[in-house]
Amino acid sequence: MNNLKLAWRNLWRNRRRTLITSASIFFAVFFALVMRSLQLGSYDHMYKNAIESYTGYIQVQHKDFWDEKIVDNTFAYNQQLEQQLLADKNVEACIPRFESFALASNGPQTKGVLVMGVDPDKEIHLSNVKDKMVKYRLSPEAIEKIRQDPNLPEKVKELAILFENSAYTNNSRLQLDLGIDDKKASELMPAIEGHAAFKNGFIHLGEPGVWVGEKLSQYLQLGIGDTIVLISQGYHATTAAGKYEIKGIVKLPLPDIDNKIVYLPLDICQDLFNAEKNLTSLALAVDDNQDKAIAQTVQRISGLVSKDQKVMEWREMNEVMVSQMDADDKGGQIMLGILYLVIAFGVFGTVLMLTAERKREFGVLVAIGMQKKKLASIMTMEMLLIGLIGILAGALVASIVILYGVEHPLIFKGETAKIFEEYGMEPKMAFWNIDTYYIWQMVIVAFMVLLAIAYPLRKIFGMKVVNALRA
Amino acid sequence: MKILEIKNVHKIYNSSEVKVHAVNDISLDFEKGEFAAIVGPSGSGKTTLLNMIGGLDTPTEGEIMVDHTNLAGLKSSALIDFRMRNIGFVFQSYNLIPVLTAKENVEFIMSLQKWNKKEKDERTYELLKAVGLEDRINSRPSKLSGGQQQRVAVARALASKPKFVLADEPTANLDSKSTETLLDIMEELNKEEGITFIFSTHDARVVKKARRVITVEDGKVISDERKK
Amino acid sequence: MIWKTAWKNVWRNKVRSLVVIISITIGIFGGVFAIAVMNGAIEQKVDATLNDEIAHIHINDPAFRDNYDIQLSVDQPEQTIAMVRNMPGVEAVAPRTVITGMANTATKSAGVQILGINPESEREVLQLCQTTIPGTGDFFDAESRYQLAYIGEALAKELNIIRYRIDESMLDSLAKREVPAEVLEKLVPFSGHRFKSEKSFKKEVKGVLSMKEQHEYGAVIKEEAWSFRARSKMTLTFLDKDQMQTGAVFRIAGIYDIKNSMYEMSQVLVQNEDLAALTGMASNEYHQLIIRLDDLESTKVVSESLKGKLDGLEVMNWKEIQPELAMMTDMVSKFYAIFMVIILAALAFGIVNKMLMVVLERTKELGMLTAIGMNKKRVFSMIMLESVFLSLVGGVTGIIISKALISATARKGINFASYAEGFEAMGYPAHIYPVISTSFFITVTVLIIITGILSSIYPALKALKLDPAEALRTE
Ligand SMILES: Nc1ncnc2c1ncn2[C@@H]1O[C@H](COP(=O)(O)OP(=O)(O)O)[C@@H](O)[C@H]1O
Ligand SMILES: [Mg+2]
Repeated sequence: MNNLKLAWRNLWRNRRRTLITSASIFFAVFFALVMRSLQLGSYDHMYKNAIESYTGYIQVQHKDFWDEKIVDNTFAYNQQLEQQLLADKNVEACIPRFESFALASNGPQTKGVLVMGVDPDKEIHLSNVKDKMVKYRLSPEAIEKIRQDPNLPEKVKELAILFENSAYTNNSRLQLDLGIDDKKASELMPAIEGHAAFKNGFIHLGEPGVWVGEKLSQYLQLGIGDTIVLISQGYHATTAAGKYEIKGIVKLPLPDIDNKIVYLPLDICQDLFNAEKNLTSLALAVDDNQDKAIAQTVQRISGLVSKDQKVMEWREMNEVMVSQMDADDKGGQIMLGILYLVIAFGVFGTVLMLTAERKREFGVLVAIGMQKKKLASIMTMEMLLIGLIGILAGALVASIVILYGVEHPLIFKGETAKIFEEYGMEPKMAFWNIDTYYIWQMVIVAFMVLLAIAYPLRKIFGMKVVNALRA
Repeated sequence: MKILEIKNVHKIYNSSEVKVHAVNDISLDFEKGEFAAIVGPSGSGKTTLLNMIGGLDTPTEGEIMVDHTNLAGLKSSALIDFRMRNIGFVFQSYNLIPVLTAKENVEFIMSLQKWNKKEKDERTYELLKAVGLEDRINSRPSKLSGGQQQRVAVARALASKPKFVLADEPTANLDSKSTETLLDIMEELNKEEGITFIFSTHDARVVKKARRVITVEDGKVISDERKK
Repeated sequence: MIWKTAWKNVWRNKVRSLVVIISITIGIFGGVFAIAVMNGAIEQKVDATLNDEIAHIHINDPAFRDNYDIQLSVDQPEQTIAMVRNMPGVEAVAPRTVITGMANTATKSAGVQILGINPESEREVLQLCQTTIPGTGDFFDAESRYQLAYIGEALAKELNIIRYRIDESMLDSLAKREVPAEVLEKLVPFSGHRFKSEKSFKKEVKGVLSMKEQHEYGAVIKEEAWSFRARSKMTLTFLDKDQMQTGAVFRIAGIYDIKNSMYEMSQVLVQNEDLAALTGMASNEYHQLIIRLDDLESTKVVSESLKGKLDGLEVMNWKEIQPELAMMTDMVSKFYAIFMVIILAALAFGIVNKMLMVVLERTKELGMLTAIGMNKKRVFSMIMLESVFLSLVGGVTGIIISKALISATARKGINFASYAEGFEAMGYPAHIYPVISTSFFITVTVLIIITGILSSIYPALKALKLDPAEALRTE
């Protein structure tokens, strides 16, 4: 008769209680896992957005550029450095950039903007801007065409009006906003895609022309083919001003950047700021983006750059976002802490009842010769089993939800979407795949059970057999 | 051969208001092979005395020697071990482990002593056969009658070949038919295998079967008779 | 009698009941207090937004907000202002000119919105004027021969108008403020140094100080290193009424700090007469009227009646100006409810378990009660009552503790300084004063009672299934 078998049988003596206790743990574990997955997923998604549409994982900059983003804090392009950087095993590409601020205007509308001089071909390695180009737009003309289309259902037409002027970088979001389910998609979408198609052009080195963020284009009321005026301060306090044709509109998943970004071909941008061949930064595309790999890469690269340059990683460049996510993370953990505390008390209650009702049995067992240590270990095992049942069930159900969620992130629309955007977030909640946080939940629950069991164990060790027998 | 000596044992309970002298200067010796009943009205100190003999409780004064070992000299875990090897218990309300079958209950102590499976099986079968339950080997206690459960308890008490078996009012919860069966089994075990039984009772029919009758009242032995 | 018995039954097994009660207390306390903190932050944000940034109602040309076209000013401003001021419920009105432009210092520039205001009327509508950082000036009080601008702390840092420096006198004053010598020694190498930005200052100082020193003296050091030259210069550039580029040098009147870096970065206040001279607008020409009401609650009523009276103008109340803010208030209250329900659900498991135990343990007694003629309804309600009492004792204790802690922290607030940057980027203060309405406590109490009732249903049904005869036989 081994301990485990005895513990297991004891569990099913009061089936209901075991199940209720396990269910409470299941409940906590399920919530904790899904919530952690959503939190981690969202952070990762936010970071990826910021990294991929703006900073990249690692940048080489003029040492003062980050603190003072002025045109004077730039460095000359250096092919030898680029070769050395590319030779690093984790560096896939070096993307040259020239970044500055300007006042953009279109007639009476003016706005401060972020000007990014880029090499469109190299950018593909990092910020894949092409993917972010607007492909569909529910412009007033597009909506008119949709309303005239006899093959489209009324509901789609109503929704189209609701989403007037929305821009889309892919058809799935368009499909979602128009309330078309997957079954009908193949039937309806081609027509809608035709009506709402948006023609974008490219920018190329050597050819004046810009891409602007979708929100910025709305604000300045600019469309393809319109002209944007940029005014700023150039190298050594010269005046920088230029007029450019808008070739394309991009929609970045970071609303805060989307409403102020203007992409220019790198050389055109350098001309605008009289910056010769200088760069403000070299963004690096990396192979392995795990924190550890990034840190090691930064360390290796730091040795290559000159005294006037420094290497920055994405966390430093997205300090505010990291701090925001940290605060959110702590908040979530506090919430889970409360939940777990409540469950721990529930487990404690169960242990208490269990010891009280088995007091006499414990007395008998010790009377006929079972050592208290052994008794305690059976008790512990029993409670851990209850915990394990709860954890496994919770983890299982959570896994189903999470695995589904990883494939199908939650996408918000309408008013809720606006709230997300107010905080500079994309209205999308991604799940984080099953990972080490699963183990943490197990550890927490096990710890919780052990904590709950401490008191009854003390009771067992302090038990007087005669008294127990009389119970 | 003396297997149990009780020397001037006292037990005083100092509960909040009253002081109860539950066992008042009792001295007794037991030989191997005895079949002894401790008789007395409720509250006379029988349970207290048996608990002290079994090492479940400690005397306020006096000494108890089991097979020449002073129980007072044993530390708690050593005492538990000593109990397991030397003393068998039968309780008034059976107290079998409800999640285990009859066989597993009997095997329990052998498992604690790490017997091998074959030995265990043989002895368990032997014991259950001796108490007439060889056909209920795999029943759980809840499926057995009170008398049957108490017979399993007797088998369990004998499992580790103890020096003697202590039974505190073993028949108090049984009807007369079951009482008779149980006593017959105990008597037979005593006669055939020489197992020492010390039991308490206040049932006259049980007293009749005993070969030694110790009468206690107010914590004192007032008579100690041996029958031929 | 049933009530009394149920109440006494709660205390029959004190330890076990206490475990359940304590778990409810902790759950309710944790939940309510966490919500009070969140709620405090949100109320502060709403308050601050209304008091410092937008006031209650805006009036402007219907097309103005689309792209802040300089031509779209309010018709007949004087009459409109007078009319609005006389509306019942309106406390004050302030006219503004709103222009998009760029702010430059010698080294840096930033896109901003320039607000042309009248200091007197502005003061009556918004409290932004009261958030001037001490030592940086004032809200256009002092006479000056220069054109003045009132700017946000974040912009001042961005434009290097606020700088950080470490020098002899700064180290002296640190010594006076009881910063230990070994800490000062670590700062000596920086003596005479001006830092390019707050970031570089923080980084360098963090580099030499230990965690503990940073924690203890960081704030003092930062305060003393903070340097601002009164009446610093800044150039504002924008397009005038004829869409010609224009601009002028402005001196800093004062720097405001409202813990919302987005707003601080983008809003520059100047006196309307100075702005009008540059834009070519008439000095009594305005783009927008902002209105403060006597009472927040009357927002809807007043804005509706203004809409009726003002033809050809757009009237928007704060909920329309910042729908996200209004929506968020709704959304978080939903979130509070969900959070509470999750906690209560977790608690319910414990209660069900305990009540089930109670029923099984009292099989005999319940059988006896049925045997002597207590009907099933009564048995049922007795168990339900016991469960409700149990939940209420824990719940009310939790509420009382939360209430006490909320009152205790409400005065001084809780400072989440280490997350300040993240908080302020979202427009939240990092120093939070927890607060929650009384009605929330009532809601929670009701939820607790419901939890008690729901958790008792299964155990109570179990009790009804007991057969009295069987029950009496049980050992
Ligand atoms: N733990 C105890 N505390 C106080 N008094 C006790 C305790 N156990 C037994 N007694 C008292 O000791 C006396 C003897 O009890 P007991 O040995 O149980 O008698 P019996 O088994 O003969 O009925 C009784 O008066 C009883 O009330
Ligand atoms: Mg007795």
